[in-house]
Amino acid sequence: MQQTSPSQETQNLLARLSQRPGVQSTLILSRDTGAIVRSSGLVTAEDISEEGAAAVPTNGTYVNGTSDEVKTKGTRNAEEVARLVYDFVKSAGNMIEELNGENDESKLLRVRTKKNELVVVPDAKFLLVVIHSTPPA
Amino acid sequence: MSSVQALKDELLAKKARLAELKRQNELKRKEVSNRQSISDPAQLAQASPLRGRSTNLGGDDLDDLVARLVDRPSSTAPGTPKSGKRSSGADETQSRAGAESTPQPARTYQDASTDTQTLSFAESTTVYEIPVETKPEYISYSKGVQTEPRRSPSPGEIGEQHGAELDGTERRRRRNLSQREVELEEEQIRQKLRAEVEEELRALQLHEHTADDKQRFPVRALAPEELNAVTNSNDFLDFVDRSSKVIERALDEEYDLLADYALQSRALDDDADDYAGHRRGRRIKEVASFDLADSMGRKRMLSSIDFSPKFPELLCTAYTKSQQSPHSPPGLLNVWNMHLKGRPEYSLHATSDLLSCLFHPYHPSLILGGTYSGQLCLWDTRTRHQRTGEPVQKTPLTGGRTGHAHPIYSLAVVGTQNASSVISVSTDGVVCAWSPDMLTQPQEYLELKSPNPSAYKTDDVAPTCISFPASDPTYFLAGTEQGAIMPVHRYDRAGAKAGVDARCQYRSHEAPVMGVDFHPARGKIDLGDMFLSCGLDWSVKVWRAQPPSSTSAATIFGQSEAVTPLLSIPREDAVYDARWSPTKPSIFGCVDGAGKLDIYDINASSEIPVASARPSHQEKDLYALRSLNKMAWEKNQGRNVAVGGLDGVATVFEVGPELGGVESKGDAWVGVRKWVARQGKMTTAGTV
Repeated sequence: MQQTSPSQETQNLLARLSQRPGVQSTLILSRDTGAIVRSSGLVTAEDISEEGAAAVPTNGTYVNGTSDEVKTKGTRNAEEVARLVYDFVKSAGNMIEELNGENDESKLLRVRTKKNELVVVPDAKFLLVVIHSTPPA
Repeated sequence: MSSVQALKDELLAKKARLAELKRQNELKRKEVSNRQSISDPAQLAQASPLRGRSTNLGGDDLDDLVARLVDRPSSTAPGTPKSGKRSSGADETQSRAGAESTPQPARTYQDASTDTQTLSFAESTTVYEIPVETKPEYISYSKGVQTEPRRSPSPGEIGEQHGAELDGTERRRRRNLSQREVELEEEQIRQKLRAEVEEELRALQLHEHTADDKQRFPVRALAPEELNAVTNSNDFLDFVDRSSKVIERALDEEYDLLADYALQSRALDDDADDYAGHRRGRRIKEVASFDLADSMGRKRMLSSIDFSPKFPELLCTAYTKSQQSPHSPPGLLNVWNMHLKGRPEYSLHATSDLLSCLFHPYHPSLILGGTYSGQLCLWDTRTRHQRTGEPVQKTPLTGGRTGHAHPIYSLAVVGTQNASSVISVSTDGVVCAWSPDMLTQPQEYLELKSPNPSAYKTDDVAPTCISFPASDPTYFLAGTEQGAIMPVHRYDRAGAKAGVDARCQYRSHEAPVMGVDFHPARGKIDLGDMFLSCGLDWSVKVWRAQPPSSTSAATIFGQSEAVTPLLSIPREDAVYDARWSPTKPSIFGCVDGAGKLDIYDINASSEIPVASARPSHQEKDLYALRSLNKMAWEKNQGRNVAVGGLDGVATVFEVGPELGGVESKGDAWVGVRKWVARQGKMTTAGTV
């Protein structure tokens, strides 16, 4: 590795993930509160407040700036997605708890819709969400 | 509902008071917050309003806390006793309940202002226990105010749920009963009221709670510095490392789970290369290609490649130092996953160029690497923080008999599940055996010397590659830079000392031998004495090894027996590696300097390869470094072949069922045996 700081490396990993073909948006939430830690391809509150007049949704909040590739992405509101996903993960957790008992937990959630697929990796402290388009099936 | 309205009013008043308090505490808090450090950022992110707060809170949290206390559901009840006019009994009881709960939040703020360091006041007001614990006070207070509303009842302001109570008071007034009865009735009413109020409060709380969830999700946005702390925490980095891998694997999955074959006819691309029926079993298809990312340093050469014995989708590749980025670690070892394209599963480092790598066959999480400096490194993929990529164990570089001081080009693990040792051979002829548990000192140390120095002027032996037969861990073949292949005994034995066996040598290569490989022989007929060699003299040779214990006449005269190869295949370029298929007895592959992978089947043809392929990325670049250094078969199924070379790209091919896979025709083994016998006769006839 180049002499990169670990956070830089993480940055790169996330940038890589969000720039994969087909990936529409990524989102990292805190597991307990659902606070948004990181997002890309989503309209965040900052975007709205900063350039509400311009009404151009930027492509994420990465520091290294992927905003130049402003596309049709970012049509969803980050908070909205965060809330929905958070509730979904919570209810999935409840289901698993009732199904398998207290000692089990969800490790991976994939939801395939007609339009796209949602992949959620819940972890002890955070959860990572990726929404990507799938070939029409 | 009037009661709700009143509650809201009281709430506003309360808010104002709290705001006042807050302002007063502002200065103090500010300097305190400066001193306070954020010790666990992840916890910060998790902090929720209903959760106990730990002592290490930032200044923002305090603000936040105040804000939350102000409009948290449980504090809707608090109100001041002196607030406004009272119009009905219901309202009064509410304000009463509020009055009783008032002291508690107030005290909380006292705490906050006096002792901000330990904010352990989080167990704040709960509505239910208050009326219970202050019951006597409740009664006396209610009596005082109960007289007021009787004079000025305003039914419009009273909710429907208080209708019953109101009826009671009116009836009582009309009947003009005695004082005792009045008191009794009052008591009844009071109880009824209390029940109602409690119920109402509960409903209100429930309602506000659900409303809260919707309106204020996430509970709070993280402040920039909190966000920073969170994203720099180890937990977060680990999480991203782990979860992004999972996601990428999920996205890399090529098969569409929802494919509906009834719906539409799919393109039959599988048949595209199936132009002739008999070719199908021998096809070679490129399935994966792993290139180095810029961050790992470009312009590295791939020096070694190995498949994991336990997980067939994993392969490790070792690289020399980067010519482009001198600051990156010189030695790099990547573990790639066939299901995770584009980035390694693990990336491990060494302080010197890595020349050889090997998965430990009995401990799937251990990876061995030999470096140019003569260090043997051991990595463990179980270590939690692989982000540094440091080996968990390294051999010393002190020289003497404690290890190698020359490049280690060849590694092997021999033994069984319970007792295995790592054999490393460096180019100065030193053979060391190590226990994977302790690399500080070799278990065995052996220096190879040429038995007949006259041939080379010195007695130095420079092994470039070794191979152990499947059946005997005490004896191996070493290909040398001089072109000879020497049998080496690890231990003293009857009639021979440890070291190079003087009795026979396999000399046919005219240039350094680059690869030696014993037949894996896992079939019904033992072909374990066959081995393969390749060298820089543009040839691949198949040999039959002499039994290590045979005593022939040659030993008596002190001359080495000349052994000729069963087969010598001339090639058009230097051959850098040659390997038997782990499952098919007659199949072997080799890679050469022209960048070609060739698969031979000695049952089919001993002259031309049955299949060959090139990594596809080379076709794009006319002047690319084509040469392939190493190849490896997948060890259990033998279906995949990985190759890699000077450009540092590892390419994995999938071979057809005739070349790979476990099921083999029974006559393949017999065929090879017959072929060996035939070739043996021919070569002896040729030499005589």
